[in-house]
Amino acid sequence: MKRDHRDTCTDQNGSKGEYSSSSSSVLNGKAKIWEEYQDGCGDDELLAVLGYKVRASDMAEVAEKLEQLEMVMGSAQEDGISQLSDTVHYNPSDLSGWVQSMLSEFNTVDGSAIDDPLFVAADSSSITSIHFSNSHQIENPASRVFHDDSEYDLRAIPGVAAYPQTHLDSEAESRRKRLKTSIGSNSIGSNSGVGADSGFASDPARPLVLVDSQETGVRLVHTLVACAEAVQQENLKLADALVKHVGLLAASQAGAMRKVATYFAEALARRIYRIYPQDSLDSSLHIQILQMHFYETCPYLKFAHFTANQAILEAFATASRVHVIDFGLKQGMQWPALMQALALRPGGPPTFRLTGIGPPQPDNTDALQQVGWKLAQLAETIGVEFEFRGFVANSLADLEPSMLEIRPPDVETVAVNSCFELHPLLARPGAVEKVLSSIKAMKPKIVTIVEQEANHNGPIFLDRFNEALHYYSNLFDSLEGSSGPSQDLVMSEVYLGRQICNVVACEGQDRVERHETLTQWRGRMDSAGFDLVHLGSNAFKQASMLLALFAGGDGYRVEENNGSLMLGWHTRPLIATSAWQLASSTESTR
Amino acid sequence: MHHQKTPSSEDKEKRPKFFINDHIDILVEILKRLDGPSLGVAACVCRLWSTLARNDSLWEHLCFRHVSSPPPSSVRPVVVALGGYKRLYRVCVRPVLSRLSDSDLVRRVWTRDEVQLSLSLFCVDYYERSGRLGGGGGGGDSSASSLMFLCNTVNV
Repeated sequence: MKRDHRDTCTDQNGSKGEYSSSSSSVLNGKAKIWEEYQDGCGDDELLAVLGYKVRASDMAEVAEKLEQLEMVMGSAQEDGISQLSDTVHYNPSDLSGWVQSMLSEFNTVDGSAIDDPLFVAADSSSITSIHFSNSHQIENPASRVFHDDSEYDLRAIPGVAAYPQTHLDSEAESRRKRLKTSIGSNSIGSNSGVGADSGFASDPARPLVLVDSQETGVRLVHTLVACAEAVQQENLKLADALVKHVGLLAASQAGAMRKVATYFAEALARRIYRIYPQDSLDSSLHIQILQMHFYETCPYLKFAHFTANQAILEAFATASRVHVIDFGLKQGMQWPALMQALALRPGGPPTFRLTGIGPPQPDNTDALQQVGWKLAQLAETIGVEFEFRGFVANSLADLEPSMLEIRPPDVETVAVNSCFELHPLLARPGAVEKVLSSIKAMKPKIVTIVEQEANHNGPIFLDRFNEALHYYSNLFDSLEGSSGPSQDLVMSEVYLGRQICNVVACEGQDRVERHETLTQWRGRMDSAGFDLVHLGSNAFKQASMLLALFAGGDGYRVEENNGSLMLGWHTRPLIATSAWQLASSTESTR
Repeated sequence: MHHQKTPSSEDKEKRPKFFINDHIDILVEILKRLDGPSLGVAACVCRLWSTLARNDSLWEHLCFRHVSSPPPSSVRPVVVALGGYKRLYRVCVRPVLSRLSDSDLVRRVWTRDEVQLSLSLFCVDYYERSGRLGGGGGGGDSSASSLMFLCNTVNV
């Protein structure tokens, strides 16, 4: 943390100059307040955001002392702490003085304690000792620091919910609540209630670190939202400043919150500076590799595959020739399990035909054929007659049903499967309607659709941002508990980070991560002429069992929602599987 | 080949009446009733026991011993083709059982769904391994990545 401050010192000086000379009408009034503040206390503004008042000139000294302190505390684990608990501290937000008193055994020259006019002398003396074992007494300075208006330049910005005091709208509150529960296990100060000034939860055994990451967590979220608002209002200078604040605040967090904040900050920065990620052909290969790691780390993709397979299996119950059309073949991980279930079907396996659709490959290798060959080998091993065709298409909308050479329904039973392949179609007008009518022309017995359960496709950027922040916070949180090689975890996070980047930074046809909720998809399917097929209890049971197998899997929940299944993390559904058939089908309905 | 134990001097008069290794059918019956770890230990006793314990039908019995209804006959060729019952037990059955039950592994009664899930996961395992033949990584014994989540300890 100290290194960050050293680095940002120069930035801050630079930005100071920028702001004082800014003549932008929007910033005029604020610039004055900033200047006054800077000149008044001479404190480092970035530390001030965290609640510490340190003179900019003292920064190097304080950093050095902190280093020394760290060494002392590290080398005298058990004994040293109890010694320190007897030390009396006044004015804990005075970081320089505080560190000095902690290092009282070293005869360093005392840096001048900042005479803080905002801290009433009488009150500060009542905040006497900060015992490392007792967290209660921190409450006062923490809440005082919190209410200290002038420290937070963010508050000087009107109309922005950057400062949480009065802008506690229920959404932000509930979001904070959820975020707090999700980062509770990771942050240093343990979990507390919703209110910002409720202070720390008392945890007597835990050594107290004054940087309350819980508080900074709240501020982090608010800064992120404020930045998004600034972007929404096209106030890019402000957004730029806020994005830098986010980076700083994120550094003080740990675990899921830090990663989420970092990805969102990067995405916001890309949007502000208009550095859009280029979607090269190579990226499709990278995405596949990342997705494999995601497949291995957490149950979302497995859940999708197993529940969709169950629906397909039940639809194929009596068929002797079956044909599955997979809108996104990728590595074909969904199909071994289905083939095995078909092989063990009472009455013997049907003839299994698979049509896989995929994007063009950069090196012109036929990836689809390779996957098809692997599946054919498996089919031969387990005794299932197998036929495969691959189709390369840039977009599903380019497909014509006649290309697929589908045989009539009395010859083969058709299933169409789409795992996370429909939402990119929403980037182009008319595409999804075309695909849905193509599906109808294929006359499938069942259509299985798995999609993210979130609305990341609203017209207003800020709404999308808030939704995405909540969604991916939950998703990252669920990853935190996963065991397994850390490389898998990192790759999974990168995989999700790409999605975040797309949702936040891209627009128009580039923004392909246009997730919509099950309700929205239901509406679309209904109006396109499909009827919902209820997923049976078998699918539910299998999904529940699958989730129980995952380490750290206590948080996963399978929910049934009007015949569809949703997988979520604690109370938040994250992906949804639904099954459909042609409306007023003459085949027997379930 | 297991030799008769050399009797100590005191036992020279008393000839042992029964050597288990002379009665392989009984030995197999006993081995059938062991749980997985014990079967693994038994395989280390001597060469005869090792040969017997490697017999896949023992592991088949172990896998489905506590299933409420016996699995259909079509299961065996599939499992054998995908790697055999010993592997099925090691890679799928044992982790699934231990995750899904708190009580003693042996006495647990399987449901059809758990069997089905194990078989599906086993098939996924085979598919992933088949992609690695000739490629880098471990030999046939290394677990496929997608099933690593089964092998990892549950976070407390």
